Amino acid sequence: MAAITAVLYREGKIRFTNLIWMFFDLFYPLIYFLLFGVMMNYTFGSPLATLGVDYTSFFLAGVLGMAGFGIATNTAWGFFSDRDNGIFYEMLTYPMSRAQFLVGKVLFNVLLAVLQAVITVGLGALWLRVPVRLELLPLLLAGVVVGMVGWFFFFAIFALRMRRNDAFNTVVNLFYFVFLFASSVFYPLELLPAWFRTAARLNPLTWHVDLLRFSSIGLGDPLHILVEAAAFVVFSLAAFAYGVRCLQRQE
Amino acid sequence: MDDTALEVQELLKVYESRRRPPVRAVDGMSFSVRRGEIFGLLGPNGAGKTTLLKIVTTLLRPTSGRARVLGFDVVAQPLEVRRRISVVVQESAAEMFLTVRDNLLTFARFHGLRGPEAGRRAEAVMERFRLTPEAARKVQDLSGGYRRRVQVAKMFMVDTPLMFLDEFSTGMDPILKRAVLGYLREEAARGRTIVLTTQVLSEAEELCDDILIMNRGREVARGDLHALKLLHRGLYEVAMTFEQLPVSIETELGRLHPVRMSIDQNTVEVALKADEARVLELVSELARKGHVLKVEVSGASLEDIFIELMKEGEAPRL
Repeated sequence: MAAITAVLYREGKIRFTNLIWMFFDLFYPLIYFLLFGVMMNYTFGSPLATLGVDYTSFFLAGVLGMAGFGIATNTAWGFFSDRDNGIFYEMLTYPMSRAQFLVGKVLFNVLLAVLQAVITVGLGALWLRVPVRLELLPLLLAGVVVGMVGWFFFFAIFALRMRRNDAFNTVVNLFYFVFLFASSVFYPLELLPAWFRTAARLNPLTWHVDLLRFSSIGLGDPLHILVEAAAFVVFSLAAFAYGVRCLQRQE
Repeated sequence: MDDTALEVQELLKVYESRRRPPVRAVDGMSFSVRRGEIFGLLGPNGAGKTTLLKIVTTLLRPTSGRARVLGFDVVAQPLEVRRRISVVVQESAAEMFLTVRDNLLTFARFHGLRGPEAGRRAEAVMERFRLTPEAARKVQDLSGGYRRRVQVAKMFMVDTPLMFLDEFSTGMDPILKRAVLGYLREEAARGRTIVLTTQVLSEAEELCDDILIMNRGREVARGDLHALKLLHRGLYEVAMTFEQLPVSIETELGRLHPVRMSIDQNTVEVALKADEARVLELVSELARKGHVLKVEVSGASLEDIFIELMKEGEAPRL
């Protein structure tokens, strides 16, 4: 346990003594929510009236998904930087197992994602009048946690496998762009062309965001959400298995 | 209590690659290090020093053979090994996003030291390493030399019985380097075992109780400085300062096939491989070429021995 708390201490020191990390982890998605979400709502009125919600409410889950996704990419960048400057290898000689190291890192990311979700959902419910379904909050919490774990391991794979800084940044930015825009983060897929809908349906971020949307405002078909949630769990397990393998092979 | 801090037996590490032939980075090494000793691993680039160090610090698994740190097997009991070691890796590894003070405190915390005691230690270590003015600065804002200083300073935050330093002095200024050599001697006197790799031979000459020279993954020579010098008893260093450097001196010296030769203003330094009588004969021959102000004849330095040993090195085995 001491090793895991030491990892949490380290991650906390890095993230909370640095304004840039804090901005990107906690406030960047909020700015999206407040600027992009609210302005879209003002500009187009309630374009999602057929779904029975306004854009701000619809976008809440997108912001939560984007936050977990963003925290995972930031962590992966930190991972890469640690490996690049050698501290990662030094850390592997500290009195802890590689499993404890990973658990500490994942746990910190989960705590950060939950904190971010509390701020976002609280702000949405209290200030922007998003009709948050309180009875579904445990499911929302589970969605945030599982999502964070899945994305953490997914991006950790690239941080652990790639050697070149420029290649790593390109891949992460590409994933960030493609995953975010080819998903249900910003728009309901039902209104989009069939080819795009198919592509978005294959995107794990869509599975994650749809689950978050259902568990925050109750939007979506429960059976469809169940299938997507199961697919996301499989995705997370695969990312976990391969991520651990990559860490074990670090020499 | 067993006197052995580190024991390596028939250690082999082969790097396999699809595109290139396999490389035997460590090729059947066996040696042991006593507690409280400063042990130097020397060798040219690619000799296998870092690979060997990575194995004994649990970063890398050997292909075969075994290594034990204070009685614990590095493969079977890595956590027990890690509880007893602190390591300076070759890169300037430091927490870039943390301040100097937080670097020390974080390292201490991983090794089980926290609270006011960790704080007191951090202050003392920063003072020792002249890092106090930079205590609140993030390491990413410091120069390479300072980063290295932070990295080495961390080793003094904890009392692990075994310390591994891979090329620890790279990037350090000479004054600090001298001070750190002194600190390391103090730590060894307190009973800590120090294993270091270096290419700065004067460092090893000054610091190490026991030296292992390796090349192409194998042991080339082993012993304390005295024993290594005995290995090359026929190697002498001659330093002569002339009032005016004789015109043809460089050509004359070249004919003697020196191991090493340097000319700096009016001073000539050569390392020669010959018996004692022949060396003195050569000195008197050279002395006849000009007015000599100073002559010094001494046994070979570690650098000369090292160069000699590398010349004698075997051909690769694969």
